[in-house]
Amino acid sequence: MNTAPRTHCSVDADGRITFRLRPPTATHPRLLLVLRPKKGRPEETTRTLDLEPHGDEGEFRAVLEALPRLAEGRWDTYLLPGPDAGRERLRPGPRDLRALVDGGSREWPSPVAVRVPYTTKDGFLAIRTWLRTAHTEAGPVEIADGTMTVRARLHGAELSEGAQAVLRLRGTKDTLHGVPVRPAGDGGFAFTVACEDLVASDSRIWDVFLRPAADAPLTRVGRLLDDVADRKAVFVYPRVTAGGSAVRPYYTVDNDLAVEVTALG
Amino acid sequence: MKISFLIHNAYGIGGTITTTFNLAAALAERHEVEIVSVLRHREHPNLTPHPGVRLRALVDLRREKDHPLHGRPAKVFPTAEYRHHQYSELTDQRIAECLADIDADVVIGTRPGLNVHLALQAPEHVVRVGQEHLTLDNHPPALRAALRRAYRRLDVLTTVTEADAGSYRRKMRLPGVRVEALPNSVPDPTLPTADGTAKVVVAAGRLVPVKRFDLIIEAFARVAAEHPDWQLRIYGKGEEQDRLRALIESLGLWNNVFLMGAAIPMEAEWVKGSIGVAASNFEPFGMTLVEAMRCGLPFVSTDCPYGPGEIIKDGEDGRLVPVGDSAAFATALLDLVRDDERRRRMGEAAVANAHRFAPGPVVAHAERLFQDAIEARSGGRHGTPEHGGIQHTLVSRGHAARDLARAAASNALRTVRKGRR
Repeated sequence: MNTAPRTHCSVDADGRITFRLRPPTATHPRLLLVLRPKKGRPEETTRTLDLEPHGDEGEFRAVLEALPRLAEGRWDTYLLPGPDAGRERLRPGPRDLRALVDGGSREWPSPVAVRVPYTTKDGFLAIRTWLRTAHTEAGPVEIADGTMTVRARLHGAELSEGAQAVLRLRGTKDTLHGVPVRPAGDGGFAFTVACEDLVASDSRIWDVFLRPAADAPLTRVGRLLDDVADRKAVFVYPRVTAGGSAVRPYYTVDNDLAVEVTALG
Repeated sequence: MKISFLIHNAYGIGGTITTTFNLAAALAERHEVEIVSVLRHREHPNLTPHPGVRLRALVDLRREKDHPLHGRPAKVFPTAEYRHHQYSELTDQRIAECLADIDADVVIGTRPGLNVHLALQAPEHVVRVGQEHLTLDNHPPALRAALRRAYRRLDVLTTVTEADAGSYRRKMRLPGVRVEALPNSVPDPTLPTADGTAKVVVAAGRLVPVKRFDLIIEAFARVAAEHPDWQLRIYGKGEEQDRLRALIESLGLWNNVFLMGAAIPMEAEWVKGSIGVAASNFEPFGMTLVEAMRCGLPFVSTDCPYGPGEIIKDGEDGRLVPVGDSAAFATALLDLVRDDERRRRMGEAAVANAHRFAPGPVVAHAERLFQDAIEARSGGRHGTPEHGGIQHTLVSRGHAARDLARAAASNALRTVRKGRR
């Protein structure tokens, strides 16, 4: 059985994370973060933090500063109890993420670095991270009359003339569907996609991007700037029937925006 | 004192489990405490028990669900109890053995069927405390009849509200049994309280019809129309999930109302909000109200039987609105959404007022009850001298007769229905 203590963590608006825990034995405890490698690959990227005694109730504290930034992915957390003991995966205590809730309403500089502590499916403490030169944060999605309109805001780059929202057919490099963007309130913009333009005879998925300027590379449209680490089952949009298919925008397991087209019948 | 709690399944999710863990943890500071879980279906409980609380299980469903005795219906656990189908001759036997061997001064049952076991099977020297987390008026007549017989053998019967304690005193003749309200306790928050600025309304509970999450969503439509930057987060899971999702879609609220899934514990989620809400038709206590208020959230709730009206002071630390009235609910909610200062002030009042549900005051009350009962039992008498006289006897007999008649009628009806099938 895992004996690692429950770990309290709190996050500031700038991504600084404070961990607090009471290790059962504490000779020289440290906290280890490991970027989860792809299946079958070795662990390569790690970060070790010293746990310092804090207060007089056997509590230790470690601070993960906003800099240097963490690579994008999922970081598992471990306690290194002392020189001779093996690592133990940490279980989550309360995660105070209130500073993240309205992150979408702030201006984020480049690179956009996001950290959201969360509980893994098997009950351990991990940190979801994103690191992107520029990022397009999706806001409300309106769905009406066979169209979907996404309001969004670009962070870490400037929107120029000729900016376009681009939907790219998953599994292809150059099957693209571009639609113009128009300014919307709060420094943001909006774009509208006609669902029937995405439909073919088969089922397919479109990933949603923004091209901020005419010749600029694509940046992903997603929703990363709040406290929700796994959005897919929480932010759920209705289906629209168009051209013999059901069309539904959704968030991927990485909180990126995509559109699912399911051929009916 | 040595104190044992007897609970249905400490490994599940629910208000009774939470409150039992809370009370056990607080008692463990000064007493020897164990939680006996009749059933177990997984390795770890969802809540971590206090390190001083021992947890053990009587029937491990992972190994024993096919035990021959587990296939036979329970005889001691009352047939009319809600969870009778989960009990069996095996649980009858294990609970009886557990009680026969129990090394405790006080044993506390946490649901009607377990209180019956306790009343009938606890050894003579052990103080028997029955806890009712549900309410007398909502028990079916056949269950009331079974409890009326068994509960006389308890020392103490606790309800979670004064209103329900009143029902037991009025409608059951329980001579010598001390009937008292012992509210659920909620641990002291570990996080700073909410500051009232977040544009988030929070609700939590099992997604079942009686909780009326549909009414909250309908009411929130008016909030979203006036304040599109506000969101409603609903935590929990359950049978209503798909229906609620469909309602969110039909009202076009997918940008404002979110089904968040279950969160245990809720504390870190409450503090992300600035208003707590519940719209139940019926709420024996209202743990979520107290949890949210202790986290600094003013609370808007329906004034349903029994708990909310004993928790919220209307207009001071929250709002009470009529049951089933989504327009009134929306108005009360909007009043708080619109007025930052009022919301902040009521949030502060909520923290102060909900302190009476902190483990400290509640545990002190429980200790007094248990100590009195130990003394009474060693002195050869039950909890309190009988009072009420002939008038009370007549009234409670009337209730007993009615329950028996209703139970018989519903049995007959069931037989008829079976015959038709």
